[in-house]
Amino acid sequence: MRRAALAHVFAFLLYLSGALGGVAAAEDALEAARARGALRWGADQEGGAPFIYPSEQDQSVLIGFEVEMAENLTRALGVKVEFQQSQWDALPSMLQANKVDLIMNGYEWMPDRVAAMETSIPYYVYALQLMVNKEGPIQTWEQLRSLKPDGSKWRFGVLSGSAAEEYLADFAATVQTASYDGVTDSMREVETGKLDATLQDTPIANFYQKDFPRLRFAEAPVAEGYYVVYARKGDKALIAAVNDAIIGMYRSGELKRIYSRYGMWDDQQKVLGAIIDSGRFYNVAAALEAAPAEASADPATGAPAAAPVEEAPPTATEKAIEYAKLLSAAAGMTVALSAISFPLAIGLGLLIAVGRLYGPTWVRMPLTAYVEFLRGTPLMLQLYFIFYFLPELGLTIPAFPTAIIGLAINYSAYESEIYRAGLQAIPPGQMEAALSLGMSKPMALRRIIVPQAFRIVIPPVVNDFIAMFKDTSVCSVVTIVELTKRFSVLSRNNVSDLVVLMGLTGLLYLLMSYPMSLLARRIEKQLGNEVRV
Amino acid sequence: MIVVQNLVKRHGAQDILKGISLTVEKGEVAAIIGPSGGGKSTFLRCVNGLERIQGGSIQIGDLRLLPETDPSRDSALLQQVRKRVGFVFQQFNLFPHLSVLENLTEAPVQVNGEPREQAEARAMTLLKRVGLDAKAKAWPRDLSGGQQQRVAIARTLCMQPECILFDEPTSALDPVMAGEVLKVIGDLAEARQTMIVVTHSMSFAREVCDHVHVFAGGHDVEHGPPARVFGDPQHATTRSFLREAGRD
Repeated sequence: MRRAALAHVFAFLLYLSGALGGVAAAEDALEAARARGALRWGADQEGGAPFIYPSEQDQSVLIGFEVEMAENLTRALGVKVEFQQSQWDALPSMLQANKVDLIMNGYEWMPDRVAAMETSIPYYVYALQLMVNKEGPIQTWEQLRSLKPDGSKWRFGVLSGSAAEEYLADFAATVQTASYDGVTDSMREVETGKLDATLQDTPIANFYQKDFPRLRFAEAPVAEGYYVVYARKGDKALIAAVNDAIIGMYRSGELKRIYSRYGMWDDQQKVLGAIIDSGRFYNVAAALEAAPAEASADPATGAPAAAPVEEAPPTATEKAIEYAKLLSAAAGMTVALSAISFPLAIGLGLLIAVGRLYGPTWVRMPLTAYVEFLRGTPLMLQLYFIFYFLPELGLTIPAFPTAIIGLAINYSAYESEIYRAGLQAIPPGQMEAALSLGMSKPMALRRIIVPQAFRIVIPPVVNDFIAMFKDTSVCSVVTIVELTKRFSVLSRNNVSDLVVLMGLTGLLYLLMSYPMSLLARRIEKQLGNEVRV
Repeated sequence: MIVVQNLVKRHGAQDILKGISLTVEKGEVAAIIGPSGGGKSTFLRCVNGLERIQGGSIQIGDLRLLPETDPSRDSALLQQVRKRVGFVFQQFNLFPHLSVLENLTEAPVQVNGEPREQAEARAMTLLKRVGLDAKAKAWPRDLSGGQQQRVAIARTLCMQPECILFDEPTSALDPVMAGEVLKVIGDLAEARQTMIVVTHSMSFAREVCDHVHVFAGGHDVEHGPPARVFGDPQHATTRSFLREAGRD
């Protein structure tokens, strides 16, 4: 699937943590999982079908071939599976920060990943499928070596950072690629004719074929690759157990049954059998010996795939209600994040502003650095730092507190600047008058200066509060599922309901921010009356 | 009550006050007059500890401000000084977020920890004294300039200071409003309130004050009883200043 959009950031953080010597897994993940009774599996449901996605019948239930694989794997290990949602490209960081034990989410076998993590044998052989419009002219790859009849380049849509994108780099002279964040986006664009073609991983192409009837497969898939399971460096016992389980699932025919349910079983999977039987991939001979002999039934003739139980698809209204429920719950998270972190940001910001304006030099300098640093770096990076890097230093903070701390600290820098402007807008005569009445400086600030500044800063502060409602969406990088993330997951997996989902999500955001605007206007009016001199 | 000795104040390389000595006895009213830029306001601000001094000393009762007095280290001392010496500003500087009554009671309650009722009772008496008891509940912005300055004086009085410094209290006011304010200050003088008044009103200085100081170029060029200073000015600067002032 996708390759890290933020690869550089992770690489940097991983490098840092490596440099600090904090990499080694403190304990054996398999033992820890057995003690806990659960193995933490990291994946991104936004990556979508057929890997892991919300069920159409019940959007709060996750299904997908990897969900079934994870259940089988963990059953073989004698533990429960504990799914941990994470942004796809952040999964290696999740692993590194010991927030998950396994990554299994369409992660391709790649040399740099194999070097950084423990790697299982392949559990699926994917390839790249060329998908074109039925009415379009493309039939063969050969055609794509020359320009279109009108002399322009072929227009391709691919998933950002995917193997497909890399593959097409070879065609740069005749093909122009546009990168999309979701897999279905480019398929839709090919249907509408905006694009000429898209190149997709075979599981994705096979699964979504039914949703895009105006698309056609051109030629056989190309550029084979492997999906593998990754574990933390050093967790060899866990990977060995995973290999055993994959081999067992293959030999018992379970793997074929699962893949068939999702329309993913194809001839290419015979390669899996070859790898397992020869043991010539990743030196898995030891694992092979341990595998139960009686399980070596020919996968090609394994039990036929159980037909998926056909339930009546939910009606549009039922679906809308289901969406509304899920989105409202996610909106609750958005409200909780903002309502807790913003007051903290205001309090912190006020202290910083007062410190910078009235404190001694040794207080001012670090505070100025604090503000400049936090304003000058993205919130997302700060959240990454807290969530993925601090564990390397022995400080593990769960996702929700991480989001609260990150938002509060980040916004405190902005609030402090607003306060500073507000405080500076108070004429110096006010401080002098307060001092000349015998007040101490802190008392003058508390009783005279800050209350006046407060009234000045209400409009910009409320503005920031509303902005924060929307900024909470960044917290999805630390696995928080709030409104935008929920929308994103649902919309990627329910392509046809995009309009309903957008409408509901937009409405929820409005419902959250508009009362704030009203309240602000009222406070402003009330306090504003008192201040004008 | 207040003894200033050889006071020096510098702003960077510029000398504002070049060794001023001045004494105000208890119950005495001193006026400071003189051309603009002569250091009159700076002098008052030094006495109230709003400016650091570079030389000499300021003795207020048993409290002493020196060049080494540090506003952050010696804040307790400065607070003591300011409790004894009130300050009335040219621009009034009322607190706009507090009502007239709260402007008066804020410091007594917060600084001295007085019971609110007691502070309010005294505040009402003082407001009555400046003729504004009817405005106790009003906001400062609803008052005229003259009214605001009278509230500011009442606010200072509410802390019961031993001495009050007035920094050109009527300069921002039209003649009618200035008259109201000067009358209040005149009443205080009659009640033997110790005061130092920087003023441009020659008639006020002549009629109300016990002592007149003429500041020019950072020096106290001439001082004495008003009758003598105005009637028989000794210094050339005084004579030219009084000539200029007389034209207004």
